[in-house]
Amino acid sequence: MLSQRLFGFFALSLTLLIHSGAARAEPVVGQPAPTFSGAAAEGGTLNLADLRGKIVILEWTNHECPFVRKHYESGNIPKVQKQAASQGVVWLQVISSGPDKEGYVDAATAKKLNQERGATPANVVFDPSGTIGKLYAATNTPQLFIIDPKGVLLYKGGIDSIPSADQDDIASAENYISSALKELAAGKPISKSVTKPYGCTVKYAG
Amino acid sequence: MLIHHKFTHLALFFALTFASLQTLAEPGAEAGTEQVRASLIASAAAVHPGDEILIGVHQQIIPHWHTYWKNPGDSGLATKIQYQLPPGSSVAEIQWPTPSKIVLGPVVNYGYHDAVTLLSTLRVADDAELGSELPINAKVKWLVCELTCIPQQVELALRLPVVAKGVAVEPGSPLVEAAKASLPADLPWKATLDEDAARLVLRVRGDGLPATQNQAILFYPEQWGPISHGAEQTAKFSENAIELRLKPGDQPLEPGQTLNGVLAIGADGAARGYRVSAVWPGIVKPSASVPVAANLALPTALLLALAGGLVLNLMPCVFPVLSIKALAVLQQAGHHRWQTRLHGWAYAAGILVSFAGLAGLLMALKAGGASIGWGFQFQSPLFVLAVAYVMFAVGLSLSGVFTIGASVAGIGSGLAARSGYSGSFFTGALAAVVATPCTAPFMGAAIGFALSQPALVMLAVFLSLGAGLALPYWLLCHWPALQRRLPKPGLWMEHLKQGLAFPMYAAAAWLIWVLARQAGPAAVAGALGGCVAIGFAAWLYQISRYSSDGRRRLGGASAGLLLALAVGGGYFAVDTPALTSQTSNASDEHWQAYSPDELRRLRAEGKPVFVNLTADWCISCLVNEQVALSRDAVLSAFREAGVVYLKGDWTNRDPAIAGVLAEYGRSGVPLYLYFAPGAQTAAVLPQILTPDIVIDAVKGAAKL
Repeated sequence: MLSQRLFGFFALSLTLLIHSGAARAEPVVGQPAPTFSGAAAEGGTLNLADLRGKIVILEWTNHECPFVRKHYESGNIPKVQKQAASQGVVWLQVISSGPDKEGYVDAATAKKLNQERGATPANVVFDPSGTIGKLYAATNTPQLFIIDPKGVLLYKGGIDSIPSADQDDIASAENYISSALKELAAGKPISKSVTKPYGCTVKYAG
Repeated sequence: MLIHHKFTHLALFFALTFASLQTLAEPGAEAGTEQVRASLIASAAAVHPGDEILIGVHQQIIPHWHTYWKNPGDSGLATKIQYQLPPGSSVAEIQWPTPSKIVLGPVVNYGYHDAVTLLSTLRVADDAELGSELPINAKVKWLVCELTCIPQQVELALRLPVVAKGVAVEPGSPLVEAAKASLPADLPWKATLDEDAARLVLRVRGDGLPATQNQAILFYPEQWGPISHGAEQTAKFSENAIELRLKPGDQPLEPGQTLNGVLAIGADGAARGYRVSAVWPGIVKPSASVPVAANLALPTALLLALAGGLVLNLMPCVFPVLSIKALAVLQQAGHHRWQTRLHGWAYAAGILVSFAGLAGLLMALKAGGASIGWGFQFQSPLFVLAVAYVMFAVGLSLSGVFTIGASVAGIGSGLAARSGYSGSFFTGALAAVVATPCTAPFMGAAIGFALSQPALVMLAVFLSLGAGLALPYWLLCHWPALQRRLPKPGLWMEHLKQGLAFPMYAAAAWLIWVLARQAGPAAVAGALGGCVAIGFAAWLYQISRYSSDGRRRLGGASAGLLLALAVGGGYFAVDTPALTSQTSNASDEHWQAYSPDELRRLRAEGKPVFVNLTADWCISCLVNEQVALSRDAVLSAFREAGVVYLKGDWTNRDPAIAGVLAEYGRSGVPLYLYFAPGAQTAAVLPQILTPDIVIDAVKGAAKL
C-alpha cells in the first residue's frame, strides 16, 4: 500500500516536471496558433479567436512583391481562395508592411486591389506595426498558415513547391494549400504540414 | 482609370518592343539591368578537346542591393544559371562562394553584395572540332533585392576557339582566379554534432584552428529547415575547438541525417569559409513541442536518478536478488560489524561499476550514432537468452542442485555468500543487470536527460541511479539496530533459500517467453534445450565434485562441454531469422497496433486516442496492462468516450517508437499518452497505472 502511494507521488512529480516550462515563441504545427486582433478591410477589428469553429488560412501578402504578383496575375491564388471559400474556409490576407514600406495600403486600396485581381479573401487584416507578423514569425510574401477549428496550427509554409518568380512554373508545381484543402476535405491530416516559404521579405516597419 | 490603362498599354508596348529587340540581337558575354551587370567568363581564352576549365557568371551589383546564395535564407531566391552547350560538353553545378549574412528586421538572408562570381566546371567534348568555336550560352535568372525585390533574367553567350592539344592558350578572365579564392575550402578539422538544451551544438576540433578568439563565426546551413536562420548563433572557443550553438529550424534533422553548410570565420564579407558536413546522431530528438528532460537541471536529475534507483529495489525484477542478499546478511549476523559493512560496500561497488559500464556502453553507442533507449540491451535476443541462462543457473544453485566453491568468484558465490566480498560485488552487478528492464518512475526523465548530456554528466546520473539501487542493502549493513532485529539463522533459511529459487525460474521462464516473441519458436527450443544442458552440467559438476581427481576432471569437462553446447546451440537458434508472429490477430483485441500515421489520422479526425508504448521485457508495462488497461471498467470507459486504443510494441527495435519516447523525454517504456479530441498535446499518464488514473484521464479530458 505504501509502495503504491510512493509510486503515485513519484509519478505525479514526474508528470509535473514534464508539463512545466512549455512556453514557446514561434508557432509550431500541432500547437495552438497565436491569437491576434487587428484592423480589417471590411471595417472594425478582426479577432482570430472569434473564428473558432472554422478553418482559417492566413496569407501574408504585399501586392507589389513580384512573387505575390506571380500568383495573383496568373489567377493561382484567387483560384485557391475560391476553393477554400467553397469548403467554408476563412481566408485572411495579412499585410505586415510598415507605413511607407512596399505593400502598405489602406482599406479602400486593399479592397480595390482584390477586386481588380479577382481575389476573394474573406477579409484583409492590417498589421502595420508588424506585431502579428512577428507573432507568426512570418518572413515571406506569400507565406501561409492554416489553423484548424480548435485554433491549432495545421500548416505553415509556402504556396507551392517551385520557388521562382515565373508564372510558367505554376503548372508544374505542387500547390501546397490546394493539396492541404483537399486532404482536409477528405478528413485526412495534411501530409506536408511544414514547407519552405519563398518570396519577398515581409516589409516590416523600422 | 483611363490614364492608368493607357499607361499599362504603353508599358506593354515598350516591353514587347524591348523583348523582340532582345531576341533579334545575339546575346553577348555581358548583359545588365539597372541593378546588376552580368558577364559570362572563362578561365581560358581557348580550349582543347577534353579540357576541363572553369566558367562562370560574374555579377556586379550596385550598392545596397544583393543577390542570393544557394540557400537564400528566410526569403529570397538563389541565382539560377541554365547553360546550353553542344552535345558532348557539359557543365557541373555552381560552386558557391562564401556568402554574407543580410539582416532585414526579423528576417535573415544569405547572399552577396557588390560583386560575386558563380563558377562551374566545364568539360569540353573529346570530339570537339578543331578550328571551330565552342558556343557557351547561359540563361541567368536572379532575384536582386534592396528593400524591394526584382526578379531579373539575362542571356549570355561566349565563344571559345577549339585548338589542338599542345597548342598553348591564353588565360581567360582574371575574375576566375579571384573567385576561386572566395570559395569555401574543405574543412581540415573534425566536425561533430550533438545536442544541448534544445540547441544543436556544432563542434569543430583540430590542430591549427585559426586564432578565433576575436573573430566572428557564423554557420550558413546549405538547406532550409535544419537550422533556424534568424536565431542567434553563440560561439564558444577553447584551444583547438570551436563550439557553435544553433537553433533547430522548421524541419529539424532526423537521426542519421547530415547537416551541410559553410562555416565562415572572420568578418562578414571577408570571411574564410569552410565546407562542413556533420551527421546528427540524434539520440534524443530535439523536440520543438515538448521541452522535457533536456530542461532538467543536473541536481534535479541526480536526485531523480537516486529516487529512481531506490524504487528499483521494489521492482519485481530486482526484489528476488535483494532478498537473497538480505538472506546473506542474516547469515552474517554473527560476523564483525566491519565485515558486514564491507559487504555493503562491495555490493554497492558491484552496482556502481555495472552502471558505470552501462553508461560507458551507452556513450560508445551514442558516439557510434545508434538510436537507443533504456533497456535497449533487452532488445537483443542474445542478451535475453544469456540472462535467462544465468537466472536458471542461479535457480539451480538455490535449489541445491549444485554449489560453487567459495574460491570461484562468480555470481553464484555471491548468492550463496557465506563469505567473499567478491560474491557481494557480483550480486550487486547482477542486481544492476536485472534492474535495467524495469523503468521505474523518475528514471525515464533522468535517463532521457543523461543521454542528451556530455559523458561526465551522463556518468554522474547513472552512478546516482546505482547509488539509489544500492542504498537499502548498504543501510542494512550499516544499521546495527536493523540487523539486531533480524531473526536468528536456522533451518528456515535453507528453506527460504530453496524457495527463492522459484522467482529465478519464473524470471527465466518469462525471459524465454520474451525470446519467443523476439526470435520465434526455434529460439525457444534452443533456449529450453540449453536449460536442460545447463541443468545436466550442474548436476554432473556437483556429483563429481567430491570424487577422485580423474572423475572430477571428467565431470568438470563434461559440464563445460554441456555449457558450451547450451551457449552455442542457443546462439544459433536465436540468431536464425525467425518468423515473427507480431501481427497475429490484433483485430480481435480491444487495441490496434500503433503507427505514427494511424495516430496522426485519428487525431486529425478529432478522435480521442490512448497510446500505450510497451515491451514484453518490461514488467511494469505488463503489470499495468493486467491491473489497469485490461479491466472491464477501463475498457467500457474507452468505449463510452469512443477512445481508440493504440499499442506500440518496443520488444524489438523500432525507431518510430524510440522517436516518440524521445519526443516525450523518455528513453524507455512504459509511456502512456492520452490525446483528448482535438487536443494539441497529449496528457502523459504516470508509469504506474490504476484503473482510476486511466478512467479519470479519459473522462476528465472528455469534459473539455
